Amino acid sequence: MTRERVRLVVAVAVTAIYLVPVYWMLNTSFKEQAEVFARPPALVPVPPTIAAYRTAVFGDPDIARGLLNTFVIATGTTILTLVVAVPAAYALARLRIRWVTPALLLFLAVQMIPAVNLALPMFVLFGRVGLVNTYAGLIVANCSLSIPLAITIMRPYFLSVPGEVLEAARVDGCTTFGAFVRVALPVSIPGVITMAVVSFLGAWGEFVFGLALATGDELQPISVVIAKLTNAFGTRWNELMAVSAVVAVPVIVLFVLLQRYIVAGLTDGATKG
Amino acid sequence: MTAVLEPATRTPAPAHRRRGRAGHRSDQLFLLPAVLFVAVTVVYPLVYSVLQAFQDVGLREVIRGGAEWVGVANFADQFGRPEFWQALWLSLVYTVGTVALSYAGGLALALLFVHRFAGRNVMRALLMLAWILPTVVGANVWRWLLDGSYGLLNAVLRGIGLIDGDVFWLGQPGPALASVIVATAWSFAPFAMILLVAALQGVPATLYEAARIDGATAWQQFRHVTLPGLRPVSITVMLLIFIFAFKTFDTIYLMTRGGPGGATLTLPLYAFQEAFEFRRYDTAAVATTVMLIVPLVLSVFYFRSLREEEAA
Repeated sequence: MTRERVRLVVAVAVTAIYLVPVYWMLNTSFKEQAEVFARPPALVPVPPTIAAYRTAVFGDPDIARGLLNTFVIATGTTILTLVVAVPAAYALARLRIRWVTPALLLFLAVQMIPAVNLALPMFVLFGRVGLVNTYAGLIVANCSLSIPLAITIMRPYFLSVPGEVLEAARVDGCTTFGAFVRVALPVSIPGVITMAVVSFLGAWGEFVFGLALATGDELQPISVVIAKLTNAFGTRWNELMAVSAVVAVPVIVLFVLLQRYIVAGLTDGATKG
Repeated sequence: MTAVLEPATRTPAPAHRRRGRAGHRSDQLFLLPAVLFVAVTVVYPLVYSVLQAFQDVGLREVIRGGAEWVGVANFADQFGRPEFWQALWLSLVYTVGTVALSYAGGLALALLFVHRFAGRNVMRALLMLAWILPTVVGANVWRWLLDGSYGLLNAVLRGIGLIDGDVFWLGQPGPALASVIVATAWSFAPFAMILLVAALQGVPATLYEAARIDGATAWQQFRHVTLPGLRPVSITVMLLIFIFAFKTFDTIYLMTRGGPGGATLTLPLYAFQEAFEFRRYDTAAVATTVMLIVPLVLSVFYFRSLREEEAA
């Protein structure tokens, strides 16, 4: 075997082993309750059944509501993040304004703050202004994490827009806002997609704010609903795995469709200032 | 001040609106909402929480306000509790363990996936699934894999004769801590891999050639060419994972709830428990204030390493 062949075989084996948890989630989710307790466990669900999905995902109003809540929160977070972060990233990349360095440091530094550090005081402060247990409160809390991240992801895209192009737009009579919307934004769409997806996925899986700020059952995101039901699900692993799979599916779909953007975004956000 | 929000017009901009060195003042409006948002939703709560650490805040004060200042009494209280030091210690063990395992795993993956072979990019993307998957999903799957009676891990270990009967990984202090570290590192390692692959590609091939000509073995090449070449990125990766791990709440909470018997109750879980179970918002604030110090110190290192990278 050539060296390349050996590497290929090793890589396939490593990838397969690495993804065993994901496979095991899907495998279990297609099993009957009795099959879950087989020893040793069946490596393939025979015959596969969607019973767990039917009872847990579609038959349980708590789960359905949790999924809807998560969708609303993640969508709201993405929209608010886009509106606030895109112009800010543009300003930090391409406008000659004051406080660029302090603002960059601020947005980078706040990303290091543990969510728990924000969730605790937010619970108290949001309580005073009636934001506890509201979509608005959960969206604002999620944005406190996603906006700084989105700005660091987006800024390099605007930096790569040549300054001469923007200068030319200005000479042609564009206002600053016009140059931003008509020239800079269209060529930076990959960046906008990246930050939108990263914001959405971040809010989709968010747990701490949901746990602290959605005190009632009605607005709890799916992550919190699963955690609460974990004990109830204690022995119904197939149903827990079915719900987990449903939570994972949008992430996997977005990831497959936009893999290029997301990987670039996650690593850019992490390494570039 | 609203000029910036007007729709673009085709008329040439008057001379006074052309940007000077400082730019137009209304340009500042692009940045203002983001700065205000972060000031109100991040900076203000943080300051508020630090102040709470110096007040007497129970449930009554949270609802009605009027908390009294108590100086450093809360700090004295916490620093005198073994549970607090235990939580801080567990946080450090968990964080250092996660950094070590994620980095080692990420480097091993990077050394494999830096080479060209069929399907490499697809497999790299598949590995990234572990990083991109919501923690709530990953944590529950790991809990199921590690289940004492019906979990896959024990089935495999029984199959190859390593264990006999049931091992309750999450039910014993040491194994529970090791388990949450493994589950966290599983998701962080692919992230480390992506950054390290890029760094590996940046190590000049001529250095390896020179080393080979000098008769260096594969290990010597790794030790004296690869590792030094990776150094700046390695530091960044380790710092980032340290920060991620130090603030981790969800994975641990979902897998063990901090148990058994507080064996995985790291500082973030400890703070959450103080606030939401015991309604001691003041001592919770002490814990979160201590938690701020670590990322603060590390971010100084991080910015310095970024600057070095840019200078290099």
